[in-house]
Order: sequence, then structure tokens, then C-alpha cells
Amino acid sequence: MSRPFHVNHSGKITMDQPMLTLCKILLAAVPAFAASVEFNRDVRPILSDKCFQCHGPDAKNKNIPLRLDREDAAKADLGSGRRAIVPGKAEQSELIRRVTASAARRMPPISSGHTLSVKEIDTLRTWITEGGVWQAHWAFIPPKRSAAPSVTNTSWLRNPIDSFVLSRLEQQGLKPAPQASKETLLRRTSLDLTGLSPTIGELEDFLKDPSPKAYESAVDRLLASPRYGERMAVRWLDAARYADTNGYQFDGERTMWRWRDWVIASFNRNQRYDSFLTDQIAGDMLPGATLDQKIATGFNRNHRANTEDGIIPEEYAVEYVVDRLETTSTVFLGVTLGCARCHNHKYDPFTQKEFYQFFAYFNNVPELGRAMKYGNSPPLIPAPTDAQRVQLSKVDATIQAAQKKFDQHKPRIEQALSNPASRQPAYWRPNTGYETAQRKLVGNVTFESGPVSSAAKLDGSAFMELTGAGLFDIEDRFTISGWIYSDTIPQGALLTRMADTLRGKGYGIYADKGKLHFHITNNYDDDALRLETPVALEAQRWHHVAFSYDGSRMAEGVTVYLDGKPQEKKVLLDTLYRPFKNAGAKYNEPFRVGGGWGKGNHFKGLIDDPRTYSRVLRTDEISAMAAPIAPGTKQALWSYLDTQAPEEIARDWRQLNELGQQREALERTFPTVMVMAESPKRKETHLLLRGAYDKPGEKVDPGVPATLPPLPTGAPNNRLGLAQWMTSPENPLVARVAVNRFWQMYFGTGLVKTSEDFGQQGEWPSHPELLDWLATEFVRTGWDVKAIQKLIVTSAAYQQSSKATPELIQKDPDNRLISRGPRFRMPAEMVRDQALSASGLLTEKLGGPSVKPYQPAGLWKEVVMQDMDYTQSKGPDTYRRGLYTFWKRTVAPPMMATFDAANREACVVRENRTNTPLQALNLMNDVTFLEAARFVAQRMLTEGGPTSDARLAHGFRLILARAPQPAELNVLRNSLSYHLDYFASNEPASSAFAKMGDSTAPSDLPPRELAAYTAVASMLFNLDEAVTKE
Amino acid sequence: MNPIDQHKLLVTRRHFFNKTATGVGTAALASLLGSESKAAETQFTPKAKRVIYLFQHGAPSQLDLFDYKPDLVKARGTDLPESIRMGQRLTGMTAYQTTFPTAPSLFKFKQHGKSAMWLSDLIPHTAKVADELCLIKSMKTEAINHDPAVTFFQTGFQLAGRPSAGAWVSYGLGSMNQDLPSFVVMVSQGLGNSQALADRAWGSGFLPTKYQGVKFRSGADPVLYLSNPEGYSPTARRRFLDDLNKLNEMKMAEYQDPEISTRISQYEMAFRMQTSVPELADLSKEPESTFELYGPDSRKPGTYAANCILARRLAERGVRFIQLFHRGWDQHNNLPREIAKQCGQTDQASAALITDLKQRGLLDDTLVIWGGEFGRTVYSQGVLTADNYGRDHHPRCFSLWAAGGGIKPGITFGETDDYSYNITENPVEVHDLHATMMRCLGIDHLKLTYKFQGRHYRLTDVHGNVVKGILA
Repeated sequence: MSRPFHVNHSGKITMDQPMLTLCKILLAAVPAFAASVEFNRDVRPILSDKCFQCHGPDAKNKNIPLRLDREDAAKADLGSGRRAIVPGKAEQSELIRRVTASAARRMPPISSGHTLSVKEIDTLRTWITEGGVWQAHWAFIPPKRSAAPSVTNTSWLRNPIDSFVLSRLEQQGLKPAPQASKETLLRRTSLDLTGLSPTIGELEDFLKDPSPKAYESAVDRLLASPRYGERMAVRWLDAARYADTNGYQFDGERTMWRWRDWVIASFNRNQRYDSFLTDQIAGDMLPGATLDQKIATGFNRNHRANTEDGIIPEEYAVEYVVDRLETTSTVFLGVTLGCARCHNHKYDPFTQKEFYQFFAYFNNVPELGRAMKYGNSPPLIPAPTDAQRVQLSKVDATIQAAQKKFDQHKPRIEQALSNPASRQPAYWRPNTGYETAQRKLVGNVTFESGPVSSAAKLDGSAFMELTGAGLFDIEDRFTISGWIYSDTIPQGALLTRMADTLRGKGYGIYADKGKLHFHITNNYDDDALRLETPVALEAQRWHHVAFSYDGSRMAEGVTVYLDGKPQEKKVLLDTLYRPFKNAGAKYNEPFRVGGGWGKGNHFKGLIDDPRTYSRVLRTDEISAMAAPIAPGTKQALWSYLDTQAPEEIARDWRQLNELGQQREALERTFPTVMVMAESPKRKETHLLLRGAYDKPGEKVDPGVPATLPPLPTGAPNNRLGLAQWMTSPENPLVARVAVNRFWQMYFGTGLVKTSEDFGQQGEWPSHPELLDWLATEFVRTGWDVKAIQKLIVTSAAYQQSSKATPELIQKDPDNRLISRGPRFRMPAEMVRDQALSASGLLTEKLGGPSVKPYQPAGLWKEVVMQDMDYTQSKGPDTYRRGLYTFWKRTVAPPMMATFDAANREACVVRENRTNTPLQALNLMNDVTFLEAARFVAQRMLTEGGPTSDARLAHGFRLILARAPQPAELNVLRNSLSYHLDYFASNEPASSAFAKMGDSTAPSDLPPRELAAYTAVASMLFNLDEAVTKE
Repeated sequence: MNPIDQHKLLVTRRHFFNKTATGVGTAALASLLGSESKAAETQFTPKAKRVIYLFQHGAPSQLDLFDYKPDLVKARGTDLPESIRMGQRLTGMTAYQTTFPTAPSLFKFKQHGKSAMWLSDLIPHTAKVADELCLIKSMKTEAINHDPAVTFFQTGFQLAGRPSAGAWVSYGLGSMNQDLPSFVVMVSQGLGNSQALADRAWGSGFLPTKYQGVKFRSGADPVLYLSNPEGYSPTARRRFLDDLNKLNEMKMAEYQDPEISTRISQYEMAFRMQTSVPELADLSKEPESTFELYGPDSRKPGTYAANCILARRLAERGVRFIQLFHRGWDQHNNLPREIAKQCGQTDQASAALITDLKQRGLLDDTLVIWGGEFGRTVYSQGVLTADNYGRDHHPRCFSLWAAGGGIKPGITFGETDDYSYNITENPVEVHDLHATMMRCLGIDHLKLTYKFQGRHYRLTDVHGNVVKGILA
């Protein structure tokens, strides 16, 4: 691999003559600036990059008196009449003196690593000579909508975008490229708007349609396709660092796909961008927030979460908030606010204090510094899919009907209850979810009469086991109950499934000095949930004790009952995060009555009617259990219905209960999603000295940087107000940043190349007026996302042919002037998707849990812990679009990583494109592409027609959406004939090729031909054109 | 002109002329003139052309291998004095421990070589090459847990997102060969407690993806997707590529996009890799003496020892940065037993690599580094018994050795206190190690930068001092 760039240009390496000549040509080719120097375009970038690091916003902290980032300071008297900038008088300006001084006094100093070129010094000099006119940084003042500039070639224009583009081209003496062919254009637009190439049918319809509106109709069709939302979502997932695992070390699975599906749906229903933003930043705080709006806030929970055993949780709690700040400020504002974490920003006017003020907006989430090892970490919500919501409403309707049916029995029931015919038992207990068990006695256990049944008498060492019951883990929902009695103040283990050692692993309830304690313990010190109830148990009386737990791993999910009443909880520790059967660990403790928690802590007294339920019992159920049945009580009613009612009533009662269980079971299948929430009591935020979690400085309130407009009047000073601030018309950044990224998606490079940085170190826009026009147009049209896409793709600029000429390559090497159509390699997921769709293998299913397509064996196992391995999906899920591929942060899907996909560790808004041999190997030898080639081959043979030429042309068209030229067809013909011969003499290869992939090949196709066509199709998938949008 | 400059110029010229010969190259040259990046200016004469980094993943105990503390026996079982701990933070795993019993090493130490370097009996082979090694006993890091610590060692920053050292070096110096990647990574499995590794450890961060480490694996496909489909011969692949090139060249003629030419050349390199990588991975032609030198494990593909042989072969073939990760050093419990097993897997091969490089004349221009991500505590994690103890993570001091190109051989550098808890002399930060590594390669770590999000980033962040005391 040779190194295509970065040679030393300091002049230390002597260049030979041809090299120097070429460099001169290139330098001459750099677009010439207008005669005069403009501060924002020409001067600020030099000052920012070379001077601000010391003479910028952080100068004060470095005890440097001169600041060059502010006009007043830069032009002020520095003492003894010296001024850095004396407008109009370059030679009197200290700035010019110092940048041209001899080595010892020259700025920037050698130690800074920066030098100014002669050209840069000239620019500074000219600017001062011309008056040194200062301008505010363009991106921090609101966009100005200019009228479309006048141009000569008006017949080229299709919409206002073109005036701006053409005006610039005409200034440079360039003509736009001709319009791309219809085939090229449809393929380009289809890829851009849906991520897939057009089908042959779509292509033919378009070619046949002579109407001038044909292209616009095609665009409308593509924008209406559900594939559009998928295409738009991918770049948003990159920006939002979406992944299916937590990252860091353990990298366990999480479930955020409901958020991902929300993004897809949002694009598909053309949600306004301001509302798209608001939902994600503060959907939970909107009045009457819908489920979707809450799901949307998952945006700020997509960050990595550390679950490593030894971490210090407070340290990572800070990192999560920083990640939110960095992501939000990069994605929506295009500023590098994150750089002000440890000190004032070196380039932009953001102070360290302002960093923490912005931080404060995201610092009020009731979250854990050490996240859950498996699954989602709180705060989280159940997030049923649309289908599940429909199912749920069906169940609810059935319940309503069943209730109605049951209610018809009311008179009969009331009558029956008013004259109790037979004896009722003393107590009622629910019979759904109840686990039956075998009793096993350990030690000397005797029985005597208890309030409900026969109570076990325990001597302080003996206990009873309930074999087969209570085998719950920390993600299960369950309830435990029983009656206890002690001659003295109750002490010791009551109902537990806990190792019989002090501080052992497991769950249970026990009495300590008369207070009820509830534990779930993995590691007593740091992986446990512990709480106690303040009410004291009494000696010499029966108490009913119970607790329910909802599987949330949080103290919040536990309710402890004493004598039927929910108790106040004093939370002692709330850091439970690992299941008992963590990563295959064995956990075989039995459920013990009066035991567990170590030999010295066994209970002495009586325990009656211990019960385990595999569901969360309702409060009314538990309170009913704790009181004896008496006439007129609900216990009497329930007991009658459970045990005495005639069958037609009992049946309807059972039906009602079963439906209730069904509803709960259904709810348990709902995926969850991590969301934003506000702690009831606002957490204090402090400035952190040097950014360190354990060095708090002054306390700060939430706030936005002073350089930018203030919060709108009346906006609350919280995330909701922040969203209002971002979407207010005064905000100079949000619309510009959004349209710039849309532009980047189509043209490969944004109008501001540094799409992640609109600050002073960012690049000056190639077309500033166009950027501002698009930004204002976006807002003017009500932040209509589809409309802005349509505007761009229907411009003449977009529709240009991407063919270049040597002259164009010289004058506009990177196409920043838009002198031709865009041409660049597709993003990773698109390379995959177009292969699957061209072959017909693609499963067009919208949303759902992430899937695991083909991946070389062992990739996870080599580096992960505890043998988590990759289990490939089967059937249709093998052929889903790339955005549904399961994304494990520490081991990214290899094809995605090879093709430069964003790493999903942190926010990425600019695409990276390289061209490597690993990509070639991937396309040639990955079964994904070979199976797709085999499918194309099948289609060539079955749909292509009788002749090999027709078949080859068909395959070519499937993949490239155009007919081959004669010379191209000739190469294909020769390749086919070579491969027919090759496979004729190589039976094993032929049958391997004809079976490529998990899907079965039709048996009626001769393997040799199928193999040969597969090889040709594979070659087509490897073409530069096949992986390029052009 | 020094060899690397010369090489760089050649590579650049070759590249340049290749490109211009086909009428392209302006895009590449434009980015070369562009402002995003500033390549290394080789201010220093490079002593090393390449790096072999033997990363011992999980953090080996300095107390049981390198940092000899004979007096600790007297303090055995006593609580770590507060005068030593000085309130420094502990991991969440032992922060709740009520006592911190001092656990001297159960292993004997002896002096070795002319340099009289103290080394433990656990590493007898390493001991034999002691005079080639520079043992740094005063390494320190900022991170206290594996993932951030490995990320810090690999990228100079605890959180994901920055380029790895190997990526920086590839970016700064480029490749020295036409058939192999410039940064190669191999992972082997240990016998002890293993922690997870992540792709980011050899990732390119914000540098272009082509600088990321390429993982070589044992088995049929040493590089992902290297092998042709079953039965598809190299001749057929050649023919496939010839046809593919023809079509791509037609496209090039029509569109003039320099990326097309680059793609053609990348396919050619892929084809060369299909020969060069299996040739490289095929140890069958190594003489018997090689396996005897590296030990019995070296006959088993995928082991640390086999990877050490591959490292030498990669070095011979001009790969710039070769990094091995050996997992399994995280001995929180049962340290004496587990560390012995780890040493059994690594000691002989690590020493063999030094010997082998030396006898082939490669040690002079190869920098070899051996070490983990932090050290381990002097106090026992869990119960200290007569023959057992565990050790928790310890970032405040630990040992690492370097050898070869640019490094002073046969010295022990830095000192720690009686408990191997704090550094008392010549602390070496991770950034310092990076700066020194760069210096050996002829790079000024302050000058190798890449502009990203408005900032000129470097491997050493805003830190790093070259450790002059260990330079030859």
C-alpha cells in the first residue's frame, strides 16, 4: 500500500522538476479569490487555525494579554501605543511585525508547531491595508436570504439552487456539465432517495415516459416509498451513534431498535424537522407526550454505557452527559462545544462554564453510572410496536366483552353471597400465577395450626425448602408471601432464595431487629438491591408479609407489604445489574422458608402458607390475602367465585382472569427502549475542574452559550426550552447544519465541508449564499424535509452528468464548484443493499429487532468475554437491509467496517470514504455478494431470454440499471465463455458456485451454466460503477 | 538523506508518476496540498523502521515478574499502610474491601546478564535476553479499568474515537511494501481470566479507514475474505480481474474519475495479498530450529508463539506496525497459578522473537515493546493464604520492557517504592512511551497531527515527553 498523500511540503524534500511544475499548475488551479480580502472567508481561518490556540477565547487562562478573536481586543492599545491591528496601516500593526519578525520573535512561535505561509502573511497584510474590516463569525449570525444571483445561461436553471451554482461556475469561467442520461439519473436518484437501484420495470417506465414531468413523478414516487425512510435513517443512526450493544468492555446487548424504527417512520411520514428535533431532545417533556414522543428521546440514550465491574460509577455518569452534549451540539448545532470541557474553547467563543451550563440540561436523568450488563438501563419504557398496540387493544376489547358477560351474573352472585350456603375457608388467596411445590424439610420441623393452614415450626436452625418453586432471576416478575409468628421480636431469614451464607447471592426477605429487609444480591457490595421498611414487626402475633418485584432491577420495582399494606421503603443500595445466571453462571439455590442468609440467621418461630407467584400481584389482591374472609368483603366474593360459584359463572370468572393474565403476558413481550426522563429533584451541576468527575468547581445553572441568541422569551430553562431555542427562527445554526448535511448526502461533500464544525476552525462554505438560501427556504417551508430533498434532486445542478474532463479535474478537482454531477462510492450499507435488491434477494421488511446476516465464524469469540458468540439469522432475516444488521460496538459488522461505515462509538456526521484492497476481497469473496451473484445468474438464465448476449445484458441491467455498450458486452461474452470452459473441467467448483449461500438453487438449472453466469455476475458486482453512485 | 525520507520520496514519486501516467492524481495531490493533515516531518534520524508491540492484555503483575521487592516478605499480611496508599482511588471491586493485606510475590527473583537485571523465575527465557532489554519499572497510566486503559494505551485517550498508535504510524510513515497492509494485528487466547478486546484498539479513529490495523487470523482466511470461493483457482481469479480491469478502464476513459484508477490498483493489491498473505502465514517452510526456538506452542496456529513467528515474518516483509494481543492476564484471583500458565504461553516465544530478530540483523531497526495496560496491586484481592492471592488493577506503577531500534539495551529504568505502589524515580506516562516510540521511528510526536473537528490532534494529545534516558 503506497501512501497517496502527505508528503512533506516544508521544502525539506527536494522535488524534481516535473513535480514542481505540477504543483504550480495545481496551485494556479485553486479557485482564485476575488480581488479584495474578506475577513470571514480569508482572514479568520488563518487567525483561528494559527493564532487562537493562544490568542483566543482561552487566552486569559494562559495569562496572555492579546486576544485576536475579538475586534475590540485585537485593535486595542496594548500599551506604549502598540496595537496588534492598525486598520489601513499594515506596517504599524504589531501583528504584521511579529509574523514577519526574525526567528526568536516570530509568531507563531516554533514551539506551537504552526507556521504562516508567505501567502497567508500577504492575506493578513492586504486585509489590514484595505482597512481591516472585521466581521462576526458567519455561522453565529442568522442566515441572510439573498436574491438568486443573475447569470448568463438562464436556460439551464431549474430552481433557485441553480442560480447560485451557475453564478459561481460562470465566475470561474466554467460551464455546467450536460444533463445525465435518463438511466444514470434514475439510478442516481433512486440510490439517493431510497438507497436501492431502480428495478428494470421502474427503469422502463421512466424511459418510456416522454413527459417533462417524468423525472419529477419519479422523484415523488421515490419520496413516497417506505424505502426512503430507511435510506434517510441510516445517516441519522450514524449521527446518533445508534448500536445494539452497550460498548466499552463487556458490550452486552441493548434494545434500541424501537427508537431506530421511530426514526424511519418519522422520515416516511415527513415529520417537520423542528418537530423531529424537539421530540428527540425533549419529547418526554411535551404536554401529553405520546409514546412515540417518549421513544424519540432515545436519541440521547444511544451513547455507550459502561458495565465493567470495577468502574467508579460517578466517573461514567459524567461521560454519558458529556456524550449527550457532544452529540447534540455536533448533530444539531455543528459546533465543537465538547472542546470546552477542560478549559475555555481554544477557537470558538465558548467558555468552560458555558460547557457545564449546556451540560446541565442533560444532567438531570435518573440513571446509573454503571449500566446494566444485559439489556436496557433505566430510565426505560415499554415500547410496543404498532402491531402490538393493535394486539393489545384487541385483548382489551375482549376483556371488555368478557367483563360485560360476567357482569350479567351480578344479581345471581349478590344473591348467593347474601345467604352463604356453605362454609367458606378462612382466607382467600389468588390462584393464578401460583406455583405449586414439594415441601422438603431440613432439620427438625414440626407443624402446628396457623392462621391459614398448617404452619411450620422452626427452631432457629431447621428450615423448609419449596422444591421447584421460586426459581426466579432478576429479570423475572414475581411475588412472595407468607405468615410469620415469633415469640420474640422477629429476627432472621423468612422467605428467601439465597445462598445460605452471610451476604450471599439471591433474593429474599428477612427480619432484622423487627424490621423487614428485602434483598436481591449478586455481589453484596456493589451489585445488589437492598431496602428496609421502617415499620417494626411485633412479637407474639401473626404478621402477613409479602413483596412483589417487577423484574426492573430497580428498588422502584419492589413493593413490600406488611399485613396487606404497602410499606414505605428506605433504599439502602440500588445498584443491581447482573442476573444470578450471569453469562452462564450456575445458580441452583432452592427456595427456603426460614433459611438462607447464613446459619446464624435462620428464623425461629412459625411460618404459615408460604407462597410464590410468577407474577406481580396487585395491591388489592395482597391486602385481600392478609385479612380473613368476612361477609360483604371482596375476599368473600372472590372466594365464592373461585370455589363455589356454579360452572357458568365460574367459567366466565376464570375467563376474565385468564384474559387479565394474557394481557400481562402480552405486555411482557413488549420491547423496551431507553428514554430521557427528568429526576424529580433537580441534580446540581458543577463546573468540573479540568473536566474531571471528582473535581467539582462552582455550581452552574442550565444555559446556552452567550455568543448565540438567548432562550426565547417564556421558554422553560430545561430540555424543552433548549429544543425551543434550537428551533427558533433566531438560531443561526440549526437549519444551516441540517441542509448542509442533506447536501453532503447528495454531493459527497457539504457546502461547508466540515459538516461537523461550523465554528471558526470549520471550513468557509463553498457557496455561502446558497447555504443561507437553503437554510431560510427550509424554515420558510415549515422545515419540510421531503420538500428540501425534492428541491435538491430536481435542481439542474444535481442532474448534471458526472463525467469529467481533464480540464474539469484540473479546475474543480473535488467538484466543490458543482461543475458536474456527484460521483462517489456508495456508503457501506448501500453497497450491500443494492446487491441484495439487484439480485432479488432483499427482504423488504420495515423495522423490527436487528438481524445477524452472514459473518465469518469466530469474529466475536476471539475478542469478547464469556464466549458470547454470533448466531447467524436464518431465512429472510439473512437478506435484510444493512441498517437492520446487528451492530456490536466492539466488533462492528466486518463488511460495514471495511467500507468505512461510521463506528457507532460516538457521533459521526461526515462520511469517510477510502478505497482499499480489503474492500476488493470483500466484494469478491464474501458469501453475501456471491449468493447475490448466483441469484442474478438465476435471473439471467430464467428471465434474460434465449441468447447468452440477452442474458448478459439482463444481468448488467439488473446491477447497473443500463444496457451494456458493445465493447462491454464483448468483455462479458469472453468472460462467460472462459468460465463455461473453466467450470466444465472443474466440477467441484461448478457445484460450489451453483450453491453459493444458504438459499437453495433451483434444481432445473444446469450447474455449469449457473456457475459461469454467477462468476460473471460477481464480476459485475465488483465493478467500480456497481459500488459507485454516479 | 536518511533511509525513511528516501523511502518516502521514492514511494511518493512512484505513486505520483503512476498516477500521472494514467492522467490522474490531481485529486490525490490536491488532498496532499490540502489543509486537513500534516504529515510527520522526520526531524530525527529514525533508529527503527518498524514496531512489534506484544500487548499483554489484562495487565500482568509487575510484582511477580519484574519489580523485585525482597523486603515485602516482612510486611506479609499486614495492611497496606496509608502512607503508601495516600487515599488513591481503588476499583469498584476492592473499594469495599475492609483490609488490604500485603501480598509479597511467591516467586523467586534472580539477577541476569551483564546488566544484572532482576527478573522473576516465571520468565527464564526472557531472563536469557535480559541484556537486550530496557526494563521500565516506572510506567503509569490514568485509567483504572481495562477498557479505558487499553484504549488509552492504544490511542492516547481513554474514550473511544481516537486513532490507534499503529494507525498514526501508518499514516505518518506509510507502508514499506506493496503486498501487505502496513499495520497488522493478531490476537491470541490466554489461559487465565480474559477481558474483552475491541476493534477500536487497532482502529483508525478519525483518520481514514485505510490506516486501521488489519487483523490476521489463524485458519483458512488469515485476512477476512482473502480466499477465493471453493475451487476457484488463482488463474481463474486472474482472468476475472483482467476482465474486470478492462471494464473499469472503459469507465475510466469515459468518466476520468481518479477513484477508478485507484480501485483498479486496489484490486491488484488484493490479488497480490491472495498470494503474499498465505505465503506469509504458511510456517511449513520454517526450519525445525525455528520451532525449537519459539517453543512447542509455536507449531499450533493461532497461539501467541505462532504469532511471534508471524511477527518476525511480517517484519521481514516490511510491515510497519505489528501488534500482538495476548489475552488472559487479569488475575484478580488465583494469581500464582494463573500467571504461571500465562508465562508458560508467552515467555519463551517473546524471548525467541528478540533472539530471532537479532540473529537476522532485524533487531537494530525493529522496536519491540512488551507490556500490559496497567499493573496490579501489592495488596491481595480476596483472602491471602500461604500459597494464594489475587491482585486488583493498579494504575500508579507497573513494568514494561522495550528492546531494539533506538532503545538502550540492558538497563532498568525508573524505580518504585517498597510496595511497588508509587513511582519514586523517573515516571513514564503512556504519552511519554508514545512520544518515545515515535522518536525511535524518526517522528516528532508534536508534529504528526491531523485536523479533526477544528483541532490538530496528535497521538500524545497535549502531553508526552520523549524519555531520553532509555534512548540508545
